Amino acid sequence: MLTYFVLAPIVIAVFLYLFSSNKTNRIIAIVMQAIITGFALYLLLQTRQQGEILTFVGNYQGLLGVVLKADMMAASFVLLTALLFLVVAIYSLHEENSKLFWLLMFIWEGLLIGIFLSRDFFNVFVLAEVATVVVAVLIMYDKGRRNMFDGLVFLMANTVAIQFYLFGIGYVYMLTGVLDMQAATDILATLPRENLILPYALMMTAIAFKAAVIPMYSWLPKVQGIPRAPDAVAALLSGLHVKSAIFLFIRFQDVFAPVASTDLFLVIGLITAIVGVVMAVSQVDIKLLLAYSSTAQIGLIIAGLSIDDPYSHAGSLYHMISHALYKVALFLIAGVLSGMYGTRDMRKIKGIFKKDKFIGIAIVLALLGITGAPLFNGNVSKYFIMSGADYVVNSLMILINLGTILVAIKFGAMLFGTPDESYVGKKTDKSSDVAIYALCLMCFAGGIFGEELMDFLFNAPFQMSFYGFIEKIIILSASWVVGLVVYKYVFADNKNQAFFGRIRAIDLNFRGICVSIGAFFVVALAVVGFLS
Amino acid sequence: MRMMEIIPIIVFFMGMFGLMFSKNIIKSVACLVLMEMAVIVFILGLSYRAGVLPPIGRGLQYNLDGIADPLPQALMITAIIIGLAVTAIDFTMIIHLVRKHKSTDWNEVKALSRESFDKC
Repeated sequence: MLTYFVLAPIVIAVFLYLFSSNKTNRIIAIVMQAIITGFALYLLLQTRQQGEILTFVGNYQGLLGVVLKADMMAASFVLLTALLFLVVAIYSLHEENSKLFWLLMFIWEGLLIGIFLSRDFFNVFVLAEVATVVVAVLIMYDKGRRNMFDGLVFLMANTVAIQFYLFGIGYVYMLTGVLDMQAATDILATLPRENLILPYALMMTAIAFKAAVIPMYSWLPKVQGIPRAPDAVAALLSGLHVKSAIFLFIRFQDVFAPVASTDLFLVIGLITAIVGVVMAVSQVDIKLLLAYSSTAQIGLIIAGLSIDDPYSHAGSLYHMISHALYKVALFLIAGVLSGMYGTRDMRKIKGIFKKDKFIGIAIVLALLGITGAPLFNGNVSKYFIMSGADYVVNSLMILINLGTILVAIKFGAMLFGTPDESYVGKKTDKSSDVAIYALCLMCFAGGIFGEELMDFLFNAPFQMSFYGFIEKIIILSASWVVGLVVYKYVFADNKNQAFFGRIRAIDLNFRGICVSIGAFFVVALAVVGFLS
Repeated sequence: MRMMEIIPIIVFFMGMFGLMFSKNIIKSVACLVLMEMAVIVFILGLSYRAGVLPPIGRGLQYNLDGIADPLPQALMITAIIIGLAVTAIDFTMIIHLVRKHKSTDWNEVKALSRESFDKC
């Protein structure tokens, strides 16, 4: 059954490609997406009942063949993937994209679902590598829109990282003789610890690169900031593509349980989050602001997953979903705004409330989600991440959330003021509004029914305590006050703009990215091999 | 550590050093291919190890001693094809960049492509 989830989007893609791409076809695409989403929901319900669904591809029982596995976590992410592609398909209903766009988007969906469902090391390699190629073509397929250079850096850097993964697969195969993750977990647990250090460091380097953590985060903003790349692609890159790497991170931490280092990734996650917010608040480009803010949230998720506590773990999983929802919403809003004002410079976009109340309210909803305001999904997930953390980590996370609030204030500042002559008017398409509002309402629903949803998606029946909730609201209000003061006296001040310009100019070239991959590998090897 | 393990590791990190220090785009691609080849040689080297039986063919009446494990070969065929496709896409982009900017230097091409972008 699970094979169809991988194959269906690809088959649909080919059929839509063969018949010409007019508006009817885009409507068919949306209907197909809705059907896939329905089946994904059915899969999740089935997994809740049965615990785990296995499909043996080619009917080779045992470890000979390739196994697809849907557990609760995988089924939830399949549902998220289908849902986000549905929303993006609705958003792009009126865009005159070429046929290739829809072909690649659907293939991308199939590949991502494959990564979530696969239980085979080598399959993950193939799917991840092909997904990289698909994204590389998606961001520059159109001759009028091409920006080859950033695409080339993206593709080559990802290929370098995936070689580390392939080397790791070789070691795992040498040690265990299997490529199945479940069997490898059992066999690796019986082996001496020092044998696992090198494969663990190799594989984690690749996964950490794909998850865009420090110091290898720079490819993600680079790709998302590519001028005139389709909005949907930038949105799904931080909404889903990076999440697939974090998903693999969770899986591989289990596979390499005897050597898995949580301290290393706790520190790396926190540093990533801090660097992410500092970079984000310095940006003036609306998409780069959101891209660096994604880096910050990824750091938070990685840190939460590395805290040894079931609450933090479940909170991080839920934060992956929350972050996907509001970040895709904000990226799509950014796409609409840059169309409305003809620029992506946040200093020139002013007075959204005066021009378009509808989109203004959507921005407010999504920003409340990202800052973790009560009744919104960010609140639930951040509450659970922080509830398992100790004092030092907790204080750092409050600081990171203060940074996120600063990002939100900077984004929200565009709502006010008077629009200048750069305003060119809005395209009249209702479908993008529908998509954005659907996501914002999901953020809201994810906050109100947060505990129920966490139980439904991840089988994590945790409750928020009332006093903890009140404490949270007090900290959050204090953070908002501090954030507003800091924004007024530091960020709005013209004297400091040169400093932020210097932060914006920080940029790794291709060689720098390779050095950072090598450095991460050496650090991971040293920490796992000698320090723990 | 066996020879089949040490040599690929050395070649792999030679490729990595090349990527860190080469200023030329073509050389970078060559180093990337070198890394790929090191991994492929390493995994192909896993095919035969003394005392390890291949996972298939046990029902046949052949003596399986000295028979190589076919799985790494099958995997590496896939990896080679993917590597070929990616290298081809890399070169497609590089040819485009070189025709446009008349340079194969990372820094020069970066500066020129930023410049040409600012114009449009």
